[in-house]
Amino acid sequence: MSNLETYRAKAAAWLETMVPTFGRDARRGLSEADDLALARRYQNAKFEAGYAGINWPVEYGGQGLGHLEKVTFDSEEMKHGFPSVYFGISLGMPVPVLMQFGSDREFVKERVLKALRGDEIWCQLFSEPAGGSDLAGLRTRAETDGNGWKLNGQKVWTSWAQYSDYGVIVARTDPNVPKHKGLTYFWVDMKAPGVTVRPIKLAGGDSHVNEVFFDDVKIGDDHRMSPVGGGFAVAMATLMIERYVATDSAGFGPHLDLFIDLAKATGINGKPAIADGRIRQQIARNFAMRNGLNAITARAMLMMQAGMVPGPEGSLNKLVSVRSRQKLSELAIDLQGSDGFAFDDHASQKEDWTSSWINAPTGRIAGGADEMLLNTIAEKILGLPQDHRPDKGVPFNQIPA
Amino acid sequence: MSILYDEGQQAIATETRRVLEARINKDDLLPLLETTGAYHEGFWTLAKEQGWTALALPESQGGLGLGLVELGLVAHQAGRTLSGAPFLTSSYGVAKAIELYGSDAQKARWLPGLANGEAVGAIAFASGANALPARPDIGLDGGRLDGRISGVTAGSVADVALVYARGPDGPVLAIAELANAERGIVPSFDNSRCVADLHFGGTPAEALSRAGPAPGAALHILALQAVITAHEQTGGAEALMEIARDYAITRRAFGQVIGAFQSVKHRIAELYGLVELARANCIHAASREGEDDFITAAAAARLSATDAYDTAARDCIQIHGGIGVTWEIGLHLHMRRARSLAIEQGNSLFWEDILVDRLTGEAA
Repeated sequence: MSNLETYRAKAAAWLETMVPTFGRDARRGLSEADDLALARRYQNAKFEAGYAGINWPVEYGGQGLGHLEKVTFDSEEMKHGFPSVYFGISLGMPVPVLMQFGSDREFVKERVLKALRGDEIWCQLFSEPAGGSDLAGLRTRAETDGNGWKLNGQKVWTSWAQYSDYGVIVARTDPNVPKHKGLTYFWVDMKAPGVTVRPIKLAGGDSHVNEVFFDDVKIGDDHRMSPVGGGFAVAMATLMIERYVATDSAGFGPHLDLFIDLAKATGINGKPAIADGRIRQQIARNFAMRNGLNAITARAMLMMQAGMVPGPEGSLNKLVSVRSRQKLSELAIDLQGSDGFAFDDHASQKEDWTSSWINAPTGRIAGGADEMLLNTIAEKILGLPQDHRPDKGVPFNQIPA
Repeated sequence: MSILYDEGQQAIATETRRVLEARINKDDLLPLLETTGAYHEGFWTLAKEQGWTALALPESQGGLGLGLVELGLVAHQAGRTLSGAPFLTSSYGVAKAIELYGSDAQKARWLPGLANGEAVGAIAFASGANALPARPDIGLDGGRLDGRISGVTAGSVADVALVYARGPDGPVLAIAELANAERGIVPSFDNSRCVADLHFGGTPAEALSRAGPAPGAALHILALQAVITAHEQTGGAEALMEIARDYAITRRAFGQVIGAFQSVKHRIAELYGLVELARANCIHAASREGEDDFITAAAAARLSATDAYDTAARDCIQIHGGIGVTWEIGLHLHMRRARSLAIEQGNSLFWEDILVDRLTGEAA
């Protein structure tokens, strides 16, 4: 067994021991408050067992291992429905970027450790009503205020802001220069006066995202994590940190085996659905697609093991898998016919087709809309030109609204 | 799991691409569309010189002892430049069947010639859309073949055919010299595939006696060929994606290059996705030869590669506009090849069923 396989086996065995306390069944029926409390205990257990901050430096409480070990652990962890979701953003982007760019190192160390233990949660305040895909079009202002700054504006789609202790934020410090050049990156205390968090109920019924309002929120210059006007580069660095994440060729929806089980259990016009060519074609096509994504992931892992940089084809995963999951979920509801109306808004989207279907649009928009991913592939991989951008090079305050 | 190509394998790909690009061009391929029974002799000479015919056959029989991974790499490059003859795949299938299921005498008789490319093989399995019919069209009785089989790729020029025949006790695999059969050349939309109807009338043939149950053995041969063809399809799709990209960054309309329009750039980005999924499935399938999930992996490769090549042919021509449909630009060579490869080695409908039978546990 390779070192990595030994690591995987050890992690899998540890995760098994956590299932009775923290697994899918243990969480069923819990209120979100109780689930979050359970999640904090789970995160602390991970920390104690050496599975938190797997690829982070030891001096910050991490394990000092590589991306491979982290991705390996994550893909094993994903199988059991553990409550890791509350820390996904926190430990995925804001805290690593704080480690990299935070100026007060003692403060950074303290925050990182608390975040790793699940005692504190960080959010990422990027998207705004006027700019989601167009991040650099954001309007939240940071104006000088004595020795520090004063924040005014609104963020939106901020995951877990309602539970967050801190956040990282990009704000406009100079509206007189082109949009990418007038941004600065800060961290902010989410409990500070003037910060208002309002959860947004999504189509599927849950409210993990929020609107966040800033009204004259005062922050010191020691909160600044980029040069003044250099915030866009740090924002891009934030998004690059998560390049090597565990992927799911099921698009974070149900496994294809569950579709096959459904097709075996249902009929079409009195004949078994599993014998129907339309259903068989979808099974075959989805298998071929998922098998291809799995092979891409396997090759990326091998390349990382060999000390090489994985190819850009890994960027296909979310684009291809989530939109296929959306259509397959529709077909699964069709297969159930009048039995397909039933809906449990607490069901897991990894196990339940209706939950998978109703939450699929979020998956195609969050973390890069399909259209943005296609643009990235076209521009960064294939060398095709950027879209026509009328705001290019124009000072922000002269861009027509 | 999958594999990473090692240095030797990467060198095969690079060298194959170099010689193919130097020696094959569309101006030699276009005239072949307007004649029947002819293939690109330069391509086949190259295949023999370079040892591609011997690549995946055992050293004891004149081969080079490499495998599906290496032959797949050659096929991918051949697909990029539109291989001028179908024999890399068809001769390989015949040779593998003889290697796996033939007697020592049959191996000695056929393998050296197939390995050096002097002999050409063809596969005669299908009955219309049925790639492996329960009741094959050709009968084998007392060492003689009788009956007619239509649309055999390489059939008009092959020396030897591997025939899926109706024996007294069910299907069998047999080999026959085609000098003793009648051939009717089929005028086709892709004439260099050398498609012919074969008519056997008491033609001498030998069963491959070590094949065990013939349906399983024939499916294995078909799957080996399907993996090679999938590489060829992926190569073709990749070339078309690049051609579309190159055109989109040079052709201008409405004051900008057309690649700046999302309808065009997203179309090409989608092709990238199809090509990479097909490539990943091909590499995976080639690495699974001999494993329990080989048929499943081959089916996945075949389905995604057919989808990639057909779509790339459609979209690449569309992106070119009027110039794309001219004879001279030759994009129709790829469009034609995408379809001929789609129906060789069992079409997508066949492989979908093979795949789903395995996923649902319906296959024995």
